[in-house]
Amino acid sequence: MKMLVCIKQVPDMESRFRVNSEGIWYDEQDLAFRMNEYDEYAVEQAIRVKEQLGGAADITILSIGPDRVVEAIKKGLAMGSDRGVHIKDEHLYQKDPWQVASVIAAFARGKNFDLVFTGLQSQDRGSAQVGVIVAELLGYACATTLVGFELSGEVVTARRELEGGIRGIVKFKLPAVVTCQLGLNNPRYPTLPNIMKAKQKELLAFPIMGFLSEESATATERMYPPEKKGRGLVLEGDINETADKLVSILKEKTTVLR
Amino acid sequence: MDFELSQDHKVLQSSVRDFVEKEIKPIAIQIDEAHHIPEQLVLKMREMGLLGSYLPEAYGGAGLDILSYAIVVEEVSKACGSSGVLISAHTSLACDPIYQFGTEEQKKKHLPPLVTGEKIGSFLLTEPEAGSDVAGLATTYQKDGENYVINGNKIFVTNGGYRGTGILFASMDRSLKHKGISAFIVDLESEGVELLRNENKLGIRGSYTTAFALDNLRVPTENLLGSEGQGFKIAMETLNGGRIGIGAQALGIAEGAFERALAYSKERKQFGHPISELQAIQFKLADMYTRIETSKLIVYRSAWLKENKKPYAAESAMCKLHASETATYVTNEAIQIHGGYGYVTEYEVERMYRDAKITEIYEGTSEVQRLIISRALLS
Repeated sequence: MKMLVCIKQVPDMESRFRVNSEGIWYDEQDLAFRMNEYDEYAVEQAIRVKEQLGGAADITILSIGPDRVVEAIKKGLAMGSDRGVHIKDEHLYQKDPWQVASVIAAFARGKNFDLVFTGLQSQDRGSAQVGVIVAELLGYACATTLVGFELSGEVVTARRELEGGIRGIVKFKLPAVVTCQLGLNNPRYPTLPNIMKAKQKELLAFPIMGFLSEESATATERMYPPEKKGRGLVLEGDINETADKLVSILKEKTTVLR
Repeated sequence: MDFELSQDHKVLQSSVRDFVEKEIKPIAIQIDEAHHIPEQLVLKMREMGLLGSYLPEAYGGAGLDILSYAIVVEEVSKACGSSGVLISAHTSLACDPIYQFGTEEQKKKHLPPLVTGEKIGSFLLTEPEAGSDVAGLATTYQKDGENYVINGNKIFVTNGGYRGTGILFASMDRSLKHKGISAFIVDLESEGVELLRNENKLGIRGSYTTAFALDNLRVPTENLLGSEGQGFKIAMETLNGGRIGIGAQALGIAEGAFERALAYSKERKQFGHPISELQAIQFKLADMYTRIETSKLIVYRSAWLKENKKPYAAESAMCKLHASETATYVTNEAIQIHGGYGYVTEYEVERMYRDAKITEIYEGTSEVQRLIISRALLS
């Protein structure tokens, strides 16, 4: 069982974001970076499959970006993956999901991966396209927004999260690409001994030029913080009336009281 | 010269930080109030490998470096000073002397249960009449066949309440002063070890600070650490390393309080604006951060010196002195920035203030650190 886990390194979401001088992305200066949260679930699920299958399973972690993304790859290795692949690109932010997916597919083609895991989306771009495009380019089955995953022989039974609290079960054969939703599992912490062991694991680096042959299909025109809207709704007056009003708002506009 | 953490250190830092955020931070108030770290948390820290960071893999450790250890203690202490000192005292004061001075047999026997945390380590040096004056130990030992028989009292034993493995210091002849002191590896569950009490304290209340009476404690001769009369040297060298751990603990406590004070200053509005827009608060934040950053530099540098087997006694004294005084300063100012809320348990900076004070006292008071530093300058 050969598995590929595609991860991205993104800024800590508690950071204060500023638009960069090009006006199409955030300024990376002074930001702390970490593994995209959705991708942590992807790494964990691959490791669980490896634990399920034993020695025959093999996990490659792949990330595209500048040198700093090696930290995220190393975390994936310390969680239990077997090798890391760093596709070096100083200007990842200028590439659209089509190009990113094409690069991943170019790397994966001919390597006979049985399962490709990735996060549902990245926390910074949030396009949720890369996983599905990779599946299309490789001709693999694809299931998105996974909150449950079971592998039996060559068949995956996956639980998907749908809108409005509904779940769906899909079955498909390998090879396949799956995108992982928050809550799929409980990602493990890399332990200190495993962080040490990860230092010995294979870490390959390639320039992106060897895999990039596609033009971008979409271009970011502008990135901007939205105009500040007026303040929130403030209910004033008699306490009984405001309480009634609050209940009716919660009933009409939210699912809290349904 | 490179002031950047390596990528491997950053991976370690973020992993421990995630662990602390989820597993320790939510229960730090509870640990303080219960005067106890839940067994479940100790187990999780063991599973993370936090208790054997820099000990070699051959003895069950993670085989990382001393800087990794300092980062672990720092990150844990950001949320909970009690959990920080559990790791620090265990690693620096029990694992380290066995690793540095033990025979291969002693290392193989005693280190694996320590670095996996099956046994929690402690250091039995201080006595009611002998604190900074180590040569004044009143605990004595005599050889009796295949055993040493030890009698006396030990106090202020960090982690003593776990009754794990202790490094115990006793004198063969008090008139020999420091030349008469020897060190022993002791199982604190042995007959002859009476746990008198776990002290009630101002801060680090989740950490055990234990008093023991030793009444004809019989220790097999194979548990002598180093040679007879080498105990004073073992104690001093162990404390040199321990100061890196306490410096890291103090640094973490200061950072934890600073993070809260900075966030609070941006949220708290008075006179129509966040108080962070007031210069009185801005200057406090600037002073706090400056001291934290200088503490971090010297803590990390001391770790680097020890790792690279360079002399580090004066640096570790400076790192402990500076970081501990930074911790009490920063936590005090953090309360001040919080105003009345800072005095309330829920806001946590009052606990950090209480936790900080001990870092100026244990493993050598600030006065002893100044003595060490000035002697290094003038000798």
